[in-house]
Parts: sequence; structure tokens; C-alpha cells
Amino acid sequence: MSHVTIDGREYEFEGPQSLLQFCLDHEIELPHFCYHPSMSVPANCRQCLVDIGAPVRDRETGEIRLDEQGKPVIQYFPKLQTSCSHIISDGQVVHTARSSKKVEEAQRDTLEFLLINHPLDCPICDQAGHCPLQIQAYKYGPEGSRFEFRKVHKPKKVKLGPRVVLDAERCINCTRCVRFTDEISGSGQLTIIERGVKNYPITPPGGSFDEPYSMNVIDLCPVGALTSVDFRFQARIWEMASTPSITTTNAKGSNCDLWVRDNLVLRITPRANPEVNEFWLPDEDRLTYHRFNENRPLGPSLHGETESASWDSSLQRVTEILKNSGTQTVFIASAYATVEDNWMLIQLAEAVGGQVAGYISHIEPGHGDGWLRTDDRTPNAQGCERLGLAPIDFPLWQARIESGEFQAIYILEDDPVASELCSIESLEDIQVILHYYSTTNQTLPTADVALPAAMVAETIGTYVNESGRAQRVVPAKVIKGMNRTLMMQMGLSRADRHGTPFDRWHNESHYIDCKPSWEIIPILLKALGAKTGPLGPRKIMRLISDTIPAFKGATYGAMDLSGVALPAIETEVIS
Amino acid sequence: MAVMTKAGDWKSYQRVLLPPVKNLHQLHVYREHGGYETLKKVLTEMEPQDVTAEMKRSSLRGRGGAGFPTGLKWSFMPPVKPDVPRYLCCNADESEPGTFKDRQLREYNPHVLFEGSLVAGDGMSLKACYLYVRGEYADWITHMQKELANAYDSKLVGKNMLGTKHNMDIIIHKGAGAYICGEETSLMESLEGKRAYPRIKPPFPAQSGIWKCPTTINNVETLACAPLILGRGADWFASIGAEKNPGPLLYGISGHVNRPGVYEYPTGMLITDLLEIAGGMRGGKKLKALIPGGASVPVLRADMIEGVTMDIESLREAGSMLGTAGMLFLDEDTDMVAFLRRVAHFYHHESCGQCTPCREGTGWMENLITRIDDGEGNLRDLDLLLDLCDQMEGRTVCALADAAAWPVRNTIKRFREDFERRCRPAVWAVNA
Repeated sequence: MSHVTIDGREYEFEGPQSLLQFCLDHEIELPHFCYHPSMSVPANCRQCLVDIGAPVRDRETGEIRLDEQGKPVIQYFPKLQTSCSHIISDGQVVHTARSSKKVEEAQRDTLEFLLINHPLDCPICDQAGHCPLQIQAYKYGPEGSRFEFRKVHKPKKVKLGPRVVLDAERCINCTRCVRFTDEISGSGQLTIIERGVKNYPITPPGGSFDEPYSMNVIDLCPVGALTSVDFRFQARIWEMASTPSITTTNAKGSNCDLWVRDNLVLRITPRANPEVNEFWLPDEDRLTYHRFNENRPLGPSLHGETESASWDSSLQRVTEILKNSGTQTVFIASAYATVEDNWMLIQLAEAVGGQVAGYISHIEPGHGDGWLRTDDRTPNAQGCERLGLAPIDFPLWQARIESGEFQAIYILEDDPVASELCSIESLEDIQVILHYYSTTNQTLPTADVALPAAMVAETIGTYVNESGRAQRVVPAKVIKGMNRTLMMQMGLSRADRHGTPFDRWHNESHYIDCKPSWEIIPILLKALGAKTGPLGPRKIMRLISDTIPAFKGATYGAMDLSGVALPAIETEVIS
Repeated sequence: MAVMTKAGDWKSYQRVLLPPVKNLHQLHVYREHGGYETLKKVLTEMEPQDVTAEMKRSSLRGRGGAGFPTGLKWSFMPPVKPDVPRYLCCNADESEPGTFKDRQLREYNPHVLFEGSLVAGDGMSLKACYLYVRGEYADWITHMQKELANAYDSKLVGKNMLGTKHNMDIIIHKGAGAYICGEETSLMESLEGKRAYPRIKPPFPAQSGIWKCPTTINNVETLACAPLILGRGADWFASIGAEKNPGPLLYGISGHVNRPGVYEYPTGMLITDLLEIAGGMRGGKKLKALIPGGASVPVLRADMIEGVTMDIESLREAGSMLGTAGMLFLDEDTDMVAFLRRVAHFYHHESCGQCTPCREGTGWMENLITRIDDGEGNLRDLDLLLDLCDQMEGRTVCALADAAAWPVRNTIKRFREDFERRCRPAVWAVNA
């Protein structure tokens, strides 16, 4: 085991690693801009300079020379070293700004330089509030500036591509964005042009920054130089609450944060998880937040009634339908819904005596790219498989539904009309019960009872991604009728933490009148006189993990926020 | 206390790098005067390690500005691996203000450069030599390409050179004219077709150079010395000029002298002798300042050059550097503020913009010096300039920030009165 002394404290380390990464891992703060753990080290911002010394070795014997007190003689590098590019070795002594005046001055000087041509338009900058330059300038920077000249002017509002805007004046030339396109996404769509203080990143002439991962550079940018076309000027960072979640656009289950203000999801950013998506998120995953806010149902509704019905009357109607249809009921599970929802559906099908047809598979061949996008456009096909549900055999079930075999069809959070499992005509003589997210659902016009279901941003539940990783989500926004204070895991904005009770989520028109399916189905079970089983997703999941081997270990405690890998199962190859 | 010249009997010195031979740039003339004989000797009679040993023994120090011992640099190349090609880069990107010596070699004696590259190629078992020439030297590039083609035709370069089993190519590469491309690591980036941002060292070029292969980078004049050393022997070379920094040296003399130009003499010439050779100061004016080695080295006041010789040791003692021996003599009428303004503009214009201190600092410096030159400056600006030097020096990937800071620091330090006179007074007289 090797040792390194940082600010007088000794740390152990093993294997070659960069000093900056070592410090970050050990929560020793070092200011930096250009360094990113997954990209090459250019050491160009010069912010992470530290003073490094190494023990002097005797030229002949190779032994460490000791002073009178028996301590190793330390010889310091003549120049300050960038900690990002420095590989630590045994016995080295490091002084950061906390223990070296020289380092403190160097870091202050670099910040003074960085700020002289920076526009300092923090009051209108999207990055303000979570801006590394702003934070580090306050912490390590000079008190004022000695610069008394016109700042360098560079292009502003440059639309690099359909989703990313550049403000070149804010750019500090850390080249993170360029390195991302070179080393991570491989598109090579960005480069630095001009020279010296006029430098800025841009696409080659005639090019457009339109790769499917372009928006990652917005998160990488340590200042507000790269902003999102979509989110630009929409909200200040401190007005929003962020809640860890996962994306449901595809079967990868990339980890993300949902940013919510006034109960509206305003943006989605990646959340680091080395096992799933590292630091990245495809653009399509980020731009799907509108569906949490727009075209949402106003409440449960009964066929032919324009006014929304009450939950009580709607569920009573469902109970009547199920009682009548009994074994002539077909249940359709959903790869969009959580494991808990699907499991509850199976319980309901058993109580009624109906059949579960399986889940509708949504494969879009060619959509996947072997990275963070998959052919499967649903988040939980793997979870359904593990519950013993199979993808619906379309020709078979189309024929069975059209034959009039069933009196009722119970659809969990999906859209069989849009996926062409059944036509509106074929459903006319069947009682349709639909759990749905959005008013654009094409099955909705034929639904006899339509029950709004909570989406990933509103529910608690578990999804299993394509590689068998179970990940649970917590609600990011409030729905009608949910006691928010019980949802301890929801993110808090500054107003939530420090404001008065009246600051919170005050606009009630943004509360969606929906319920998680795991909450709806037990009410039906009770009304049907069947056993309701465990109540609440945590208990449901504990039961599932105890009884179904494919979910072994998938308890809420084990999954926490980074998920847990489930034992491998043999699944049919989804074609 | 008069220090003697270290150049010995320089008045009878016979030029070797640029000998007085008409049309020496033509291949047949070069060969008539013993050209490519050294290459033949090296290829047929010498082992690679002997070549490097001979270079080490000659005590030749690089002529590109840093003065690193050439033989030692060659010996840094790792052991030969069969599937890893090794390269030489000839740095002909000469572009520092006041430096114009390599141009003469390219124009009047290109074959000595080719021969030097090939000799180096044998010494270090190289696959190819890239001749990275500044793009603005367009005429000399065509000129050299013509001569290189002749050499290829005569089987002096390429496959089976001079009928031996040795192969080596020389490729002339046109730079796009950025000063930073003269920095060895950014030169390699530029050769690879990338933006010329200097690389972090280590790894050094000998371990990981062009396309991550072992690479050595030498200046034009350094490589031109190689055939002389191996042809006439290291002892002959070491006996020329200053003991610790021997050899013939091209002095690029410019400024307010009567006969500016490139002069070949041994190292260790007295500055006063060189001034005499260049015909003395123009119009009989007095010398005010001297930049001994290109714009980046510290300027010397006229009273500091007494007894100083043009070699690394003596100039270091005098408080400057040999650099590229591009000597710029400035007479008593020179406005040092305007001079520094021009130098600062150069470094501002040429900073690649990779590292923060250099990118931002060079521009700020030019702003301040411009303000002083325009009569709008304050006395505190001088201290701020010195502060900025401290903030830039030694804190960047390459040495451009240092090269930008040194002239500012030393010109202000050594000519402070000139600057103070141009600044607005710190205390204004109050009208009674």
C-alpha cells in the first residue's frame, strides 16, 4: 500500500491514479474546470494547480534520504503542478490552497484571468446557481478585478444545432464539449476555432451539431456557454426541485434527475451511474418531459359522459363490469408500467378469473445504437418477462378479441389501438377499462371507464432494464390526493427548504388527478371481495422479491437510488 | 576588466554552414564540395550508437533556442522495436521576431539539412524525417522541394540510399503559419492534422511523439551541424568557439545597424565584435539596448554588454539568454514602450489559447502597454504588468507564457524610467 500526504494528512492509495481524481474520491475539494473523469486530460484551465513534493532518493542506494529527525527529505517540484495530469506516487507530499499560500495565490490568479473576459452576466445566465465558475470564483477567486479594458467580444446566441445554443463570450475554453464529441460520442462535430483569447467551440463550416447525444455538452459545460434551446431562460436553478429518477423512453433505464417547478417537469438531466449510463443521457430521453405536463387527463371518465366522473363512481362501474364479465375478461399488462402495477394486475386477473394476454411489445428496429438507446421503446419489458408475462402474440389475440370471446378488456397503461392490436370497431361491443397517461391515447374514445394512471414522475415503483437491473423511482411531482409529506424522498427546491408553507407547490391546477395503478387495483380487489394482498409498493416489492426467484434481492432497501442487478433469467428472444 | 572573446581567431574563420560557394544549393555543386560523403561514411562505416556518441562528444547544443545538448537528446530514443516506426521532425517553423537564420540555410544550403536529417536518421534508426516549414516561406518550400526531388532521383534519399540497405524518407510539410507550431509538441499535433495545442510533458516526444511513436525534434541549424561533426570529427567541432557551447553559429543581426544580416562565426563572439562586423550603429548613434536571442529573451541595456560573449554561460551571467542568436540592436532613439508594445502584440496574437494564464494574460498585457504608449497609463500599471508576469510564468503547458512574460518583465525592470516618464503622474500638482 502506498501513501500520499495531502495538506498534512496521510492517505493510502493503490495503483496509478490522478491526484485530482484521488482528491475528488476522498472529498478533498480542488477547484477545476476542464477535468472530467471519463475524458482525456488536457490540463488547460490551470485551475487545479497544487504544490507537490517527492522524497529524495539516494542516487546510489536508491533509499529515501532522511533528515536529522528521521523524516524523509522532501524536494518540491520547481513549478506548481496541475493535479489532474499528475499521477501520484508513494511518499509524495501535496499542498492545496488550504495549506500553501503559493497555491492559494495561483488559484486566485487563474480565476482573475478567467473572469477578465467573461461577461459576468450571471443574473441572466441559465448556469447561475450551479455554475462551477461562479462557485469557485466566490470561493477561491480575487475580491475584485484589476482589468480596466473592453472585454473581448465573441459571437452570442449561436445555434450550434437543433438543440444546443452557444454563447461564445461565456466560454472559458475548457474543451470539454469538443472532447465529448471526439472521445465519447465520436461524432467529432465540434472543434475550437480562432486563436488565443478569441477561441470558441463551433461546428465545422456547413455542419450542424445534431448528433443524438448533443445535449450532454450542456451539462459538461462548466459555465453557461452552452445552453439548451428547449430549457433556455425557462427557470432559475434554485426555483426547481430535482428528484432522482430514471428515463422511460427506452429499455436502458438511464438514470436521470427530474427538475420540477410548480409541479411541472421542466427538464431532465443525467444522473451518474457507472453501471448504466455513466454520465450521459441521449437527447430523446431529455426532451420527453413535456408528456408529464401536457395532455394529461383531468380525472377518471365514463364513456359518453363529458364531465369527469368521481373515482368512487368510476371504480364502482369497473367492479360491475368485472363482476359481469368474470372469466370472459382479458387483461393486458404493460411494459410501460412498473413491476408492482403489473403484479397487481395479475392478482386482479386471478381474482376475476380472467386471462392475462401478456404485454404489448414496442420494438422499433434500428432505433438502438448499442449505447444508451435501445430498439425496445418501453422501460419495463424485462420486468414483465420476469413476472412470467410474455409479449402478446398479435395474430392470435387479434383474432380472439375480434371473435367476441371476451366481454371485457382491461388495459394497463398502454394503447392497443395505436399499436394495432385491436381496432376501435372491434372494441365497440366489448367493455373497455383503460389505465392511461395521456389524452392522446387512441384507445381512450372507446374506453367505457378511463382511469388516469400516474406516470414515472408521479409514482413509486420498480423498472427492470434490458440488462436485468432493477431500479426504483420516487415521485418528483405531486398528484391530487397524494399526501406529499409522506413522500420523504421527493426533491426539495430552495423555497421548499427555506420558504414558508405558502411557497410550496401552490398552483393546484398543475396537480394531475391520477392514481398509481398499484393504488387503483387493490380498491377493485376489495370491492370484488378478494384478498387485497400487501398494500403499498414497498411491501408489494418485498413480497415479489421473496416469492419470485427472478426478482431475488430486489427490495427497496437494496435498490436504493442506483439499482441492483437481478439474477440472469432465460428469456425468449424478443424479435 | 576586459573579458576576451571565446571565439579565438575569428577574423580568419572559414564558414562551414554557409560556405562562400556559388550555387551551393544545387545538388551537383554540393556534391562537388564533398556533399553526402559524410552520409556515405555514416551509412557504410558507422554503427548507429557511434553516431550518437560522436554527437554527444561534440558538445553541440540545440540551436532552436533552448540549447539542449543534441547528442543527449538523440540518446533518449528508446531501443528499436521492429513494428514501431521512429521519426525525426526538423523544426523549420522559425517565426520569432528577430530570428531569421534558418531561412538562409534553407535558401543557400538545403542539402546540408537533408544530409543532416539522414545522418540523424541513421544514428537513431528512423523511418522518416518531417521537415515542418513555416507556410509563409512558400518560395523556399518550392525551392527545397525541387532540391529534395533531385536528391531522391540521385538515390540519396528514399529506398536503398547510396546503394546501401538503408531507407529513409524526407517529407516537407507546410505549416499554416502559427508561432505556436514552433513548440515541439504542438508541431507534432499540427503534423498529425490537429489543432496545434501543445501537449503535456511527460510523456516526452522520445517516448510518445508523432502518432505516439518515438520522435526526436531538432532545429534546422542543429541538424545542419550533424554532417560537419561526423565528417570532420567531434574534436574539430568542439574546438570551435566557446568551450561549453561550441561550434559555428549563425548570428542573425538586425535592428539599427549599418549592415544587418546573417553572419556565420564561432560561438562565444564578443557582442561588441559582432556590432563592429555588422558595421556599427546606424548614423553613428549610440547603442541603447540589445536583444541577444530573439524577441522572447530578456533585453540587455547598453551598459550590460561590456565583455559579454555570445554563448549560453556568458549571456546567462549577464542576465539574458542565447536563444536563437537573433540579435536585435536598438539605438538611443528607440522608444522602449513602443518596442515592448510590438512584442506584446506579437505574443497576444500568437497565443494558442489553450491555457488560461497565457490566453488571458497576453491580451491584458498588450492592453496595458498600449495604454501606457498612448500616454493614458498610470504608474500602478507597471506594477500590475510585473504582477501579470508572475501570474503567467511557469503556470502553463508550454513555454509561450514564459516567452511572453520575460521581455515585459525585463524591459520594464531595465528601462523603468522610460516607462514611468510615459505614465501619468501618481500625484497631480494642485493649482494654487
